[in-house]
Amino acid sequence: MLRIALKGVLAHKVRLAMTALAIVLGVAFVSGTYVFTDSIQRSFDSLMSDVNEGVDLYVRGTTEFGFGGVRIDEALVDRVRDLPEVAVAAPSVEGIAQLVDEQGEPIGGNGPPTFGFSYVPEGEGLTPLVIREGDWPRSPTEVVVDAFAADAGSIEVGDVIEVILPIGTEVFTISGIATFGDAENLLGATLAVFEFETAQRAFDAAGSVDTIAVVVFPGADPALVAAQIADFLPDRAEVVTGEQQTDDDVGEFTEGLSFINTILLVIGGVAVFVGAFLIQNTFRIIVAQRIRELALLRAIGATRGQVTRMVVLEALAVGLVASAVGVGAGILIALGLKAAFAGFGFGIPTTGIVLLPRTIVVGMTVGIVVTIAAALVPARRAARTPPIAALRDVAAPPRSLGTRIAAGTAVTGMGFSLVLLGLFVQFGNAVAVVGIGALVTFTGVSILAPLVAAAFARSAGAPLRRMGIVGRLAQENAIRRPRRTAATASALMIGVALVSVIAVFQGSAKASVAAAFREDNRSDFQVQLGSFGDPASSGLSPALTADLRELEVVGSVARGRLGEYRSGPDGGLKFMLGVDGPIGEQVVFEMADGSLGDLGPGTAVISAAEARAFDVGLGDFVRVQVSSGAYMELTVVGVFEAAPIGASLVIDLATYEQYNSFRLDQFAYVQVADGFAAEEVRPAIEEVVAGYPNAKLTNTEELIADTEDQIDTILNLLVVLLGFALVIALLGIVNTLALSIAERRREIGLVRAVGMERRQVRRMIRWEAVLIAVFGGVLGLVVGVVLGSALVLAIGQGFTLAIPWVQLIVYLVLAALGGVLAAWIPARRGARMKILDAIAYE
Amino acid sequence: MNVENAAARVENASKVYGAGDTEVTALDGLTVAFERGRFSAIMGPSGSGKSTLLHCLAGLDYLTSGDAFIGDIRLGDLSERELTLLRRKKVGFVFQAFNLIPTLDAAENITLPVAIAGETPDKDWYETVVETMRLGDRLDHRPSELSGGQQQRVAAARALVSRPEIIFADEPSGNLDSKSGEELLGFMRKAVDEFGQTIVMVTHDPRAAAWADRVVFLADGRGDGELASPTSDQILEFLKSMG
Repeated sequence: MLRIALKGVLAHKVRLAMTALAIVLGVAFVSGTYVFTDSIQRSFDSLMSDVNEGVDLYVRGTTEFGFGGVRIDEALVDRVRDLPEVAVAAPSVEGIAQLVDEQGEPIGGNGPPTFGFSYVPEGEGLTPLVIREGDWPRSPTEVVVDAFAADAGSIEVGDVIEVILPIGTEVFTISGIATFGDAENLLGATLAVFEFETAQRAFDAAGSVDTIAVVVFPGADPALVAAQIADFLPDRAEVVTGEQQTDDDVGEFTEGLSFINTILLVIGGVAVFVGAFLIQNTFRIIVAQRIRELALLRAIGATRGQVTRMVVLEALAVGLVASAVGVGAGILIALGLKAAFAGFGFGIPTTGIVLLPRTIVVGMTVGIVVTIAAALVPARRAARTPPIAALRDVAAPPRSLGTRIAAGTAVTGMGFSLVLLGLFVQFGNAVAVVGIGALVTFTGVSILAPLVAAAFARSAGAPLRRMGIVGRLAQENAIRRPRRTAATASALMIGVALVSVIAVFQGSAKASVAAAFREDNRSDFQVQLGSFGDPASSGLSPALTADLRELEVVGSVARGRLGEYRSGPDGGLKFMLGVDGPIGEQVVFEMADGSLGDLGPGTAVISAAEARAFDVGLGDFVRVQVSSGAYMELTVVGVFEAAPIGASLVIDLATYEQYNSFRLDQFAYVQVADGFAAEEVRPAIEEVVAGYPNAKLTNTEELIADTEDQIDTILNLLVVLLGFALVIALLGIVNTLALSIAERRREIGLVRAVGMERRQVRRMIRWEAVLIAVFGGVLGLVVGVVLGSALVLAIGQGFTLAIPWVQLIVYLVLAALGGVLAAWIPARRGARMKILDAIAYE
Repeated sequence: MNVENAAARVENASKVYGAGDTEVTALDGLTVAFERGRFSAIMGPSGSGKSTLLHCLAGLDYLTSGDAFIGDIRLGDLSERELTLLRRKKVGFVFQAFNLIPTLDAAENITLPVAIAGETPDKDWYETVVETMRLGDRLDHRPSELSGGQQQRVAAARALVSRPEIIFADEPSGNLDSKSGEELLGFMRKAVDEFGQTIVMVTHDPRAAAWADRVVFLADGRGDGELASPTSDQILEFLKSMG
């Protein structure tokens, strides 16, 4: 049987090659993702272990979660240094420093963080930084920047540049250029290093430090020293080993990386899933075309099991080869991803490409398992071939309609229930449940699809009839094998459904944001970051608000700063907002109880959901944990129904600063003073904001447009990545058409003989492809709109459903064009078919 | 025979397949003409070149040297597209099998060449053809619902409906039982007698050839004699004499 199976593979090289390509692409994406993230991880790990080499202990503020724990008292530096066994105690202050180039444009900061560090002479060699040119900063006006930023901003030693700091924008002279270990660039992050006292001032850390790096004398036991230090440490401060610090640094980074890894793997998974449809369809067609051969095997005594095994063995052979090629191609994908990320400014310091055994195992397993699983149904169908089919043209009895309806409905129902369960019933891994539910739904719809394929081709293809016989034949060809048409269309359906879900989400998000801003916003102007930035590592300098408040034309400025907190009852991490200024006048909070105006030190305004969770009302206490691990006890002075900013706890900025060392603002809202017209005073405000090159001034409509752009940017990136799955689906159409045309060789020969021109043949094949593609597109739109609507409704919170019909129709047109594209080669082949070969008798 | 009156002819026609050791000469300097309004048959043993001759005359294949004409048109002068249009307008086909498109019903199959040209069939003529072929009650059936004889009659109707200058039939009764075969050939005979249709048929069956006005014999790609309005016994005799 093995020999027959292998010969079967060789006999169908070309058609299997297309199938193999689908597996290769899917596996390549999955393994490429692993290679990519593993390579980054490896470089980062080695970088980080270099970094903390030679440091025995670190003293630092505690951080339980999130960002912006607390700093520790500077006095601790001397106490540590005074310990007899301590050789070096080097303090460090960290913060965020946005470099500005000569043209006044921010350098980096578009996603990757913009770090600021301090320099002390005794810390030399204990930090990851190595001076490449010039010298460390020795005066309050000097700064060292990293090589990547220097290159990006064309900065040289001796240049004077602006740096945006929490205390405002200041001017420094470049005293040196540093590298991060051997790497010129740490994932696009920029670095600015200041003299210690300057850093303390710049990062609003007077009298405090972030960490103290400790080196003990040779022969001393670091553990004992750690114990001595721990004795006098206050609450919210801790001493850890160098290794622990490394692990924490790496862990934080790994968390971010695993997020990227997950997204890429999900997309790879979709690609593989789409590939599975293609595989199943190819095997189905191959089995149908070899029915006589299979029947002959049955007639001469092969059991059903043997026939099944033979087809499965073929699948195994294809899966094995394709997966191996896929793993290899994964390295190319990884290089492509690296280049793509570099293109977005995320330079990646790779020490090389890392191909872990895990990557090979996962890639091979995914490829082989998916191939075999997809071939199982066709294999069992092959086994049902009656031996008599060897002599006559008898197809294997098709599964009954009733079974198909029942199975399809059950599977679709189950999938959709899972999606709803995941969306509406909050629990553990809801995202995974939704994902699996979506895949099951796709499978269910694909089972049902053949039932409507013929009806669809008949009605949607009706206009084709008016084109005459060519259109009519195209339509009939799409109708005649509903299962093949449906299976081919299903692969496309998945891709279209996913981009439609995104489109529905995108449309709803934009509509909701616009509505919310128009309804809730009372400010004349808003200042926010000009680029997309991580709220944990970028923001507006607080000095900006102070500058704005000095303007005569400005009536009031309200600003907010984001932070995370752990909510008492359910333990989940949520956003809190520290506010300063009359926020309630600038933004409408729909209050259920109390007032925002009562907010002051030690008080909080919370969302109605939180109030219910804590079971509190006005005047009651809530106790929540902040990043450092400390607890805030706050008196509730107000409860709001819906927060326009998405935070569920609002506190006074003074309270915020007491508990969190993060010093950058998320936004500043401006109302002009009475008697001034907003647009008239805009130049004056603009001038102040221009002093902070990473800040951007907008009015409400501009803000809506900007926010919509941001939503588009992020989601379009996803759509582009999903394009991979769509390409595989189009390959499926190419494959099906090629196989169908081979099957219809005689018919094409006949119509050519009786006078059909080549271009008419091409047109016929093209329209068939368009029908299949549009069928897939319509199925995808339907499923996508249903799933997308469920998603939007599940999010709730003022999220209103808005279905972007125009965009969806564009997708449908694109699907049809994709069909034309997919038909390109099959149509040419069909048209070039030699008439004589086609009509030759056996 | 008068060349001016020929519906189709070849002059000095040679057709060589392959090259070197595998070279096969299918036609070897053959000159033959087929008259308008008559039913001609081409006979010969396997490999005599009779199918090749038909294909080259019909514009489905090219001669290696020499010329093939439909009426006055030299096929070698035509582009691929012009050849296609010529087949559409001036030539009809009946093949041995696989004559019909399975997704189209009998009526649609009959009008296929007209439809491909984007025209509508001449209604009276269409009805005449359908009636002649006795297909009136089968028009909305798909090929899979027709008997072999009916299928071939649909093919013949298709060949007739565009009023081609010439119909080429390649073993049209080859796959049929003798009764259906006789029936089909009778209809073809009728088309020649009643409508003045020109038919050139390749066959190896003396009984089929006996329906023709003239039988041309080929051997090794060359002409090897002919008979006018022969009986099947005469044809059999002739074939025996060819050895």
